[in-house]
Amino acid sequence: MDTFLSAIFSGTSRGAIFALVALGLVLVWRGAGIVNFAQMGQAMFTTYIASTLIANGNSYWIGFVVALVSGAALGSILDVLVMRPLSNKKKTELLSSDSMRAAIPVIASLGILGVLQALAGIIWAAEERGFPAPAKQEGFTVAGNVMPFTAFDVFVITCVAITLILTSLFFKRTGMGLAMRATALNQEVAKLSGIRTNRTRTLSWAISGAASSLAGLLLTPSSNLSPNTLDLALFIGFTAAVVGGLDSPVGAVLGGFILGMVISFVTFYDTPEDVFLAILAVLLLSLIIRPHGILGSKDVRRV
Amino acid sequence: MLKVENLVTKFGSVIALDGVSLSAQASKITTVIGANGAGKSTLLRTISGLEHPAQGIITWQGESIIAKRPEDIVRMGIAHVPEGHAVISELSVEENIAMGSLFRRRKFKSDVQVALDEAYQLFPRLLERRKQLAGTLSGGERQMLAISRALVSRPQLLLLDEPSLGLAPLVVEQIIDSVNILCRTTGLTVLLVEQNANTALGVADHGVLLSLGKVVADRPAAELKADAALRAAYLGY
Amino acid sequence: MCVVSKLKAHSTARKSLIRTLIFVIVILFLGSRFDAYNQGQLSVVLILFIGVLSVTILTGISGQLSLGQGALMAVGGYCTALLMTNYKLSLWIAIPVSIIGAAIAGLLLGVAAARLSGPYLAGTTLVVALAIPTLANRFFSVFKGDEGLPVDVGYSPKWFSNTFGEPTYEQWQLYVALPFAAIALFFASNILLSRSGRMWRSIRDHESAASLCGVNFSRQKIFVFVVSASFAGLSGALYGLRGLVGPSVYPVSLSLTLLTAAVLGGIRSISGAFIGTIIIVFLPDWIDLVIDNFELSEQVSNYMPALISSVLLILTVVINPAGVAGTKLHKHK
Repeated sequence: MDTFLSAIFSGTSRGAIFALVALGLVLVWRGAGIVNFAQMGQAMFTTYIASTLIANGNSYWIGFVVALVSGAALGSILDVLVMRPLSNKKKTELLSSDSMRAAIPVIASLGILGVLQALAGIIWAAEERGFPAPAKQEGFTVAGNVMPFTAFDVFVITCVAITLILTSLFFKRTGMGLAMRATALNQEVAKLSGIRTNRTRTLSWAISGAASSLAGLLLTPSSNLSPNTLDLALFIGFTAAVVGGLDSPVGAVLGGFILGMVISFVTFYDTPEDVFLAILAVLLLSLIIRPHGILGSKDVRRV
Repeated sequence: MLKVENLVTKFGSVIALDGVSLSAQASKITTVIGANGAGKSTLLRTISGLEHPAQGIITWQGESIIAKRPEDIVRMGIAHVPEGHAVISELSVEENIAMGSLFRRRKFKSDVQVALDEAYQLFPRLLERRKQLAGTLSGGERQMLAISRALVSRPQLLLLDEPSLGLAPLVVEQIIDSVNILCRTTGLTVLLVEQNANTALGVADHGVLLSLGKVVADRPAAELKADAALRAAYLGY
Repeated sequence: MCVVSKLKAHSTARKSLIRTLIFVIVILFLGSRFDAYNQGQLSVVLILFIGVLSVTILTGISGQLSLGQGALMAVGGYCTALLMTNYKLSLWIAIPVSIIGAAIAGLLLGVAAARLSGPYLAGTTLVVALAIPTLANRFFSVFKGDEGLPVDVGYSPKWFSNTFGEPTYEQWQLYVALPFAAIALFFASNILLSRSGRMWRSIRDHESAASLCGVNFSRQKIFVFVVSASFAGLSGALYGLRGLVGPSVYPVSLSLTLLTAAVLGGIRSISGAFIGTIIIVFLPDWIDLVIDNFELSEQVSNYMPALISSVLLILTVVINPAGVAGTKLHKHK
């Protein structure tokens, strides 16, 4: 029973973070038609920035805010410098086919991931360092029993909930949000309505960058920080996004929690080493049973 | 006034527009008719910046709009309603209309609401269905929605691509009538592309007949309507 | 009709044969000039060249982006290592059997991947690349976990030493890799010039048109996967024979390295694959040559090759997606 509760709690807290990662992927996929494999590389980089600030005596919160802002900035810079020139490229012989046009941004994002990881290695040394949590990571004590739920878990879930509420309000209530949804759904009609689609694309990169930076900040206290620490989060986030539906933000959140639970239960009831295989199994199952995801729209091939 | 001169648009090796010249007079309805594949839609898409011409000149009120992006061309007062009731089905009616006025929110804040109200006034059925998703509308309502979306950007030139496509004659008549009234009362310039030549020539001031990417006739609408030989040769009736 | 196609097949085979012969002669010449270290590097080039060819065939020719080639290499490597350690088979038998093993793995992957495209395929294969090596720990008794299975190319047989003189260990590595690389090159060249090559390109360029013309789309897609997996398996088997077959030998980054090489050189051509492989293998040495002149810390020189190759990758796709070799070589569609 204790194991079960622990698994549930840890699954919720982890799932919330994976939901954030998946949401970041979905935002860029909807907004720009690209699965950004560099996303957690960006998050790793901004977490290092926060870590450096905190190590130099600044408060956690300054690091926190700077990480989010630099995450947004990094996302937009990458879009403007790399992805926008790619999408505006004229059709050459190589780019004549849809499949290659879809592959090129993926390759570019892998290149970005490589650059960010190498840069982080050069700047911040290869040795692992820890990252502080703003709240205690020991379980609450209720009637003398230590519960498998920590103050940090509360912090994580609050952060994620606030992010989800804010993004959904932004998309539902603001003009910019409407412009972004329109661009994601039908670029041509959006352009004809006077929406500057280049800008909305960049904005989706920025929001996604900030969201994944937050995910990075929340993930690293439980592991160490190194150039590769967040790779696994990308795999899990991708799987979560596919499970929920790559073009559905709500689906992404749902997928994040599903993955959080799966991983948590595998860790508690089996061994942590099987987590990778479990992720693969979930991904393949989901692709066989529901290729467009739980809440995704049917057109899987949207590019 | 819109002036198109010697416009050539290609898709790979296929030449869709082969040296088209025409003009749309201010506050008049100019219609472009022709059979399927004549290049009518390509013409509108090239004017609104969705396709890039290989050569030619397009000027709008004396200024060249070639190589401008669609979103900038809208800002210059040219609104394009593309073929096939182009609305975003996943958004509500309200959102679809509001989309067209997003770029005016900052500069013309007070006018945005007026424009939205006018659109609902023109097509009251949209007001009833404000909260519905555009995907649940009938074909005619979608066309009205697409036109409304274009109108709230306060265009001086409306590019209308086959509004009659797939609609019942009564609905077509209602939509064409609304556009006609709009042109006569507000001085809107309209460039109407139609396969349904009779309807189009019935409301238009001027007619241009397009065939295989070339202009074969450019005359007052009434004259074009009366030319049975030309109609038989190019439109098949 | 039949005669024509036979003649064509004939000339295709001859063209590929000539290419392969030139390739072998150039490698033997270079091998004789290089010192031991560079001979070793050259054999790594040959081995990874086969792996890069698997990417060229899959992504460049048929347009499917897979990031799981490293996992298929691992399949080839483990097959060979198990056959050699448990059954004491010679590598000349173990490797061909391993190719079949990798082809079967490719078949499974292809069946799963046939309905995926674009980023779905890329992401799924990436997860495959991550998950497959963990099987080594899952089935520890067979695969020996993180320690892996030590295997190597051994020493040259008597008849070889008697005829050509005793080769050094590095030379022997090179001589083992060369025939396999030559065969791979011959096949790849033949595929590219042949009917199936054309058919696969049609999948890449015009999916719907190809299916209308009667190209069985998913069967061809799966077939490409099998062929590509065979190349990857061969490459992985030889890669493991450098000393160890274990999870650390086939990390996720190996798949990315192959892709980087293929893109840098030119994802559409065989010569591009070779140029890309040379760049990737020798880049660290070239960088060392340059930065030895500066006083840089070790961590800079450690990460420099990764940084430079990633920057090159981005620059290539943004500025010249056709890569160093361009697309000229296979313009005939």
